Amino acid sequence: MKKSHIIAFIAIVAAVSIIVIGSKDVTTYGDFSMAENAPGSVKIAGTLDLNKPIHFDIEEDPNSFSFYMNDKANNRKKVIVSMAKPQDFEQSESIVVTGKLKGDTFYAHDILLKCPSKYKDEEIRLRAGLDKEKVG
Amino acid sequence: MDNTIQYIGENLIPGKIAHGFIILSFLSILYTVYASYKQIKSGTIDDNRWQKLARWSFLTHGISVFSVIGILFYLMITARYEYGYVYDHVSDDLPMRYIFSAFWEGQEGSFLLWMFWHVVLGFFLIKKTKSLESPVLLFYSLIQLILATMILGVHVGFGEYTYKIGSNPTLLLRDIFDVPVFQKENYLELLEGTGLNPLLQNYWMTIHPPTLFLGFASASIPFSFAAGAMYTRDYKSWLTPVLKWSLFSAGVLGLGIFMGGIWAYEALTFGGYWAWDPVENMSLVPWIILVAGIHTNLIAKSTGRAIGSTLIYYCLTLVLVLYSTYLTRSGILGDTSAHAFTEMGLSPQLIFLVGFFAILSTWLYFTRLKEIPKQEKEESIYSREFWMFIGALVLLFSGIIISTSTSLPVFNKIVSLFNPSFEGSVINDPIPHYNKFQIWIAILISVLTAKTVYLRYKANGMSAQQTKSFALPQIAYFAIAAALTFIMSFWLDYFHWKYALLTVTCWYTVIANGAMLIKGLKQNPRIVGFVCGHAGFGLMILGVIASGLNEESITEDNFLLREIVLDEEERNSVNLIKGKPFFINNYWLTYESDTTYDKTRRFKIKFEREDSLGNKVETFYLYPNMLYNNKLTKMAAVNPSIKRYVDRDIFVHVTGLPGSQTDIEVAKENEDSLVYITYDMMIGDTLTLSENKKVVIESYSYQPNNEEYKDSQSDLGLSAVIRCIDQKMEVDEVIEPVLGLKENMLYQYPDQVNDLNIKIKLNEQSFDNFFTQENELVYESFTVPKGGSFDYKNTSYTVKTLDSNVEDRNYDKQEGDVVVRALIEYTLDNGDNRSLSPLYVIRGSKPYSIKDYDPVSGTHIRLSHINPANEEFVFQIAEDVRDAKSMIVDIAENVPRDDIIALEATIFPGINLFWSGTILMLSGFFISWWIRYKSKYA
Repeated sequence: MKKSHIIAFIAIVAAVSIIVIGSKDVTTYGDFSMAENAPGSVKIAGTLDLNKPIHFDIEEDPNSFSFYMNDKANNRKKVIVSMAKPQDFEQSESIVVTGKLKGDTFYAHDILLKCPSKYKDEEIRLRAGLDKEKVG
Repeated sequence: MDNTIQYIGENLIPGKIAHGFIILSFLSILYTVYASYKQIKSGTIDDNRWQKLARWSFLTHGISVFSVIGILFYLMITARYEYGYVYDHVSDDLPMRYIFSAFWEGQEGSFLLWMFWHVVLGFFLIKKTKSLESPVLLFYSLIQLILATMILGVHVGFGEYTYKIGSNPTLLLRDIFDVPVFQKENYLELLEGTGLNPLLQNYWMTIHPPTLFLGFASASIPFSFAAGAMYTRDYKSWLTPVLKWSLFSAGVLGLGIFMGGIWAYEALTFGGYWAWDPVENMSLVPWIILVAGIHTNLIAKSTGRAIGSTLIYYCLTLVLVLYSTYLTRSGILGDTSAHAFTEMGLSPQLIFLVGFFAILSTWLYFTRLKEIPKQEKEESIYSREFWMFIGALVLLFSGIIISTSTSLPVFNKIVSLFNPSFEGSVINDPIPHYNKFQIWIAILISVLTAKTVYLRYKANGMSAQQTKSFALPQIAYFAIAAALTFIMSFWLDYFHWKYALLTVTCWYTVIANGAMLIKGLKQNPRIVGFVCGHAGFGLMILGVIASGLNEESITEDNFLLREIVLDEEERNSVNLIKGKPFFINNYWLTYESDTTYDKTRRFKIKFEREDSLGNKVETFYLYPNMLYNNKLTKMAAVNPSIKRYVDRDIFVHVTGLPGSQTDIEVAKENEDSLVYITYDMMIGDTLTLSENKKVVIESYSYQPNNEEYKDSQSDLGLSAVIRCIDQKMEVDEVIEPVLGLKENMLYQYPDQVNDLNIKIKLNEQSFDNFFTQENELVYESFTVPKGGSFDYKNTSYTVKTLDSNVEDRNYDKQEGDVVVRALIEYTLDNGDNRSLSPLYVIRGSKPYSIKDYDPVSGTHIRLSHINPANEEFVFQIAEDVRDAKSMIVDIAENVPRDDIIALEATIFPGINLFWSGTILMLSGFFISWWIRYKSKYA
């Protein structure tokens, strides 16, 4: 048996085991119904419900804020995130939270926001600038 | 849009010139490609006409690129907002020192930066490459050609469909946005620019991108050599000259990535120097592959083996650089990365860029697969090249693992093209995911770098004696490494045997390479390069184990009781109230004060460390800050502050502030939601609020002692000195809300007692109780000579000086004015010396008197007439009616505190091991490069 064959064999075994082990780290963006049965933490994608209260009171707890999120199946649940409220949270277009569902509340330890791009922002600003002109 | 509008103030010529240069740069580099091709096809050593043409056109290209950059800089410095790129990245208030950062903040500018380095390196390449020039320049220019299309900004039509090639940085703002503001011919006067994102207003933004792009640009060179070698079927002569370029590129690219890590750590509060973010990963992978290529290149140079691998690694390096460009600039990472560029519609072009070079490399390689020199006999396991080859394979493996996981969004996108209902998958928790594979890579690499340096090229076996002299020292090094690992365990926790093993192997390579240096330096000084590289790698990983694995929070709050606490949850922030020390994990933390200067608000935090007996053993201050946006309406970013020790860092940043302090809108909303009740009180009155809180109006003042009021430079001010008491809470605090008059407008400067949640404003009606209006004043006249005096209501007023050269804030000087100012001095009952200076002005033969007023005594004085004949002056004097002492105040209760911050403090042990290890490793590349650059035969 040549050494290159041994190396190739080891590489293949390593590659297969990495794929097997690594694929367990992968999840899909789910909805709240998926979180009900999940044993570990899950990622839920959705949008912020601006009609419901967003609560962050630094005096009460600097490590937590809460809001209501609509998932892709349009289920609404309260989400409590264990960190301070990020900047521009209210402007977010979509949200991904990572955590667990306990009862009717989703406890998240991580949150990712997708915010409107700078360019879109600019267009809004230019338009707003014009509105101001009209009034003035 | 209406094209007939004649806009005012636009300067369109520089943009047109720059666009001309963009097109010229494209055409000239296209010609360089063609001429290099012709030289290879038809030229000889003696007939180098095409080569010369290629050089000239490359020079033309270089000048064009420099001109575009120069003009764009000029437009940015002069803030020509008619250009979209200038409008997007510059603003009126942008400090000049950030002009470079602003230049490469956007896609077009960063492509220009990349092209700039490509040109600079190209000049050196032409100067140094000698006989390989044409093949290298052919592929080098081909890369630059495709980069040049990125800023071309040409629209190509296929029937109905038009496609935009490149994004032109000289586009006009009114051609980008179709908004009605451009109906105005003077729209330029209305614009002030968007400016640079405050997060990027940082000196790292000035130095990190140029370094990284120099790394990217230099990574084209090994590719160009490799592709040129395959194209001309000359597989050997490139192996030596390419090496110094590869070493340079690996050094610079590594430095660029490293700078990004320092930036993330020092300024961006990403919580560390490395987060396995896709953008970080995809700049790391090309570097890893390039390092693998350098190792097989060394094998090929010394033994003639692994030429094929070297070709693959170098080609892969460029393809991966381009792939990372695609990932960061196409917007595909939007969901998963914290720091990608905004999407600009260049995706198809970026895919073409990657695909073109991937296919080109593959085609070159496979059409020549049979010719690439190989050696029939396999390497011996006693040879250095065998283990170096294995090491390169391990690096390749590492790169494949990282890029596969990072490419998940690309995979999702491709699958969803065929199956729109496909649910994209993501990595649940990226950091442990990457770490668990890379730890084994690091273990393998550290072992390989430790022992392989002691093996010889082309060795076929080892005699008993050789085995002994090889193995015994290795055992000794390993034993020392194990001992050091044990000693370190008193300082660090390893948590898992894997990390203990990694620590041993890292020490092993540090010791083995260190010993190599001591033993071998005299015989061969050139080993310094790789010894530094390998030992630096070991130290760097030791630093990662120390700082990453043993990171601990000072401010972790484990005592809060809650219904549900999750395992992953980290409660790393604590609240600090201004002036109130807070004790946690052996530290007294005090938020002492904060100051705002320019756009930065700086918090002064006192740290006092206590030993187990309760003695304060150390006191220091840290100053984390936050940045407001360019309009000062919102918080834009927070910056940490770091206390550095030899063995650790204490890293502090503000994680939260009350909403009213971060956003002017929220502050307004909060203010509107307060319930103010109006009370009409006499001086000395006491008011009892809820829960037996007491408010006493102690006195009033015409010289308010209130910072905000003082900053406002008002004309007049009135304050109430109010004592707020809560005996139960042991609070007794005096506040001073103010009413200020500035240019006939009244402004309120409220004050609050945070401990009692009370906020008090002076009602505007109070003003009339303390100041008498002009029409209600009763003036008395006095006629006095210069130097004379008069008595009014028991006070003696003396006319001191008269001058006609007047600068006075009550008076706007005009041409032809005759003006006299009198200085009148008087002493109050309490002994205060006061003065007033009324003015007398003759403007256009009409006399005016401009009065002066002393709010303290309530005295109004006018100089109403001057008799030039006998030098007598007529003064009119009146006093405020000050018998009403009713102060009308608006008081709100249950006001949220505004003097509170949430703070996170983290200890990173051994972080200096990481910095110094990385610097040592990178200096290894530069040392090796320098040695080869200087030596004549290498």
